[in-house]
Amino acid sequence: MFFDLNIKGNSFENNLKLAIEASKYGWNHINFSYNQDDYSNALEFKNDLIGELNERIALDYTLEIKSNNINEIRKITNKFRSKSSCISVVGGDLKVNRATLENVKIDVLSRPYLRRYDSGINHVLAKEAVNNNVAIELCFRDVLRSYLTHRSKIISNFKDIYTLYRKYGFPLILSSRAESVYDIKTTQDFTAFFKQTGLSDEEIAKSFGDASNILEFNANRSNMILTGVRRIDDAS
Amino acid sequence: MRLKVLPPTLRKNNRYLTVEIKSKLPIVKDDLVSIVWDACIRFQGELNTSNFNLWVMRFYEFENDEDYCSYKAIIRCQRDYVEEVRSSLALVNMHKRERISITTVGLSGTVKASQKYI
Repeated sequence: MFFDLNIKGNSFENNLKLAIEASKYGWNHINFSYNQDDYSNALEFKNDLIGELNERIALDYTLEIKSNNINEIRKITNKFRSKSSCISVVGGDLKVNRATLENVKIDVLSRPYLRRYDSGINHVLAKEAVNNNVAIELCFRDVLRSYLTHRSKIISNFKDIYTLYRKYGFPLILSSRAESVYDIKTTQDFTAFFKQTGLSDEEIAKSFGDASNILEFNANRSNMILTGVRRIDDAS
Repeated sequence: MRLKVLPPTLRKNNRYLTVEIKSKLPIVKDDLVSIVWDACIRFQGELNTSNFNLWVMRFYEFENDEDYCSYKAIIRCQRDYVEEVRSSLALVNMHKRERISITTVGLSGTVKASQKYI
């Protein structure tokens, strides 16, 4: 199963176009991401979008929090936790990276390397990610839309994250962050690119599994009593 | 005078990638040739690209979408370097300062078989 948890959400028509293209290229599930200001408006046409696609591809929404204020991130997370199947925070700032990885209510730290000269993750943050089960997201579009030295530096940051991933085993997810039909690639092309940067077939498969686990965990979040203890429906 | 054809054991094994191209600007086959070579040399370097045995075999033009011009092509590469070529082509982004996208939709051992993806 191929999951893409970060396709940039836009208008109804644009989302429909992207979803059809993604289903054509072999994706099974996509999440449109919206920031905290647009998320509530986008929820209004979510059911229409699902109806229009007619089970061609599974889709959901990701709340993408973009802020440098740690308190604001915490407040937005608490506000939207029950309404969202996936909450991600755009990284890059070291304080934001740390606060995100320490918050068990957040699912994904997106692009910790953004606008930085390093990967934005060290051994301390990697351990926090494991303890709080926060995934780290790498975006294909960052490489696609950059070139020459900048592209090399981003790939180098990816490789630094792979090293920590192999040692500490935090959840790693790969996404396209496509904004238009030009950014969507077939699943084979997508995996071929990440294979070239140094991930193995098993690691790529596991990253899609991690994305699936996030959605599954959040679907059952209301039934969670403690970590590892879930209320099940014994009637079925 | 043509060279004598190599025996089968000494020939290179090829694979044929069927690619789908979306371009804001109209392109011709020669443009695609330079785009493919440029992409591979940029991402894999001159030394690695020398192994790929690249060749644009076929180029097809399709009815244009309202947003972009649509094409398909069959590109030859050497058998053990399919992943390298695929990833290089996936990273094509701009051509003459306009958006372009190449993605591989099929992989075959012969040109004839790869035409089923067209």
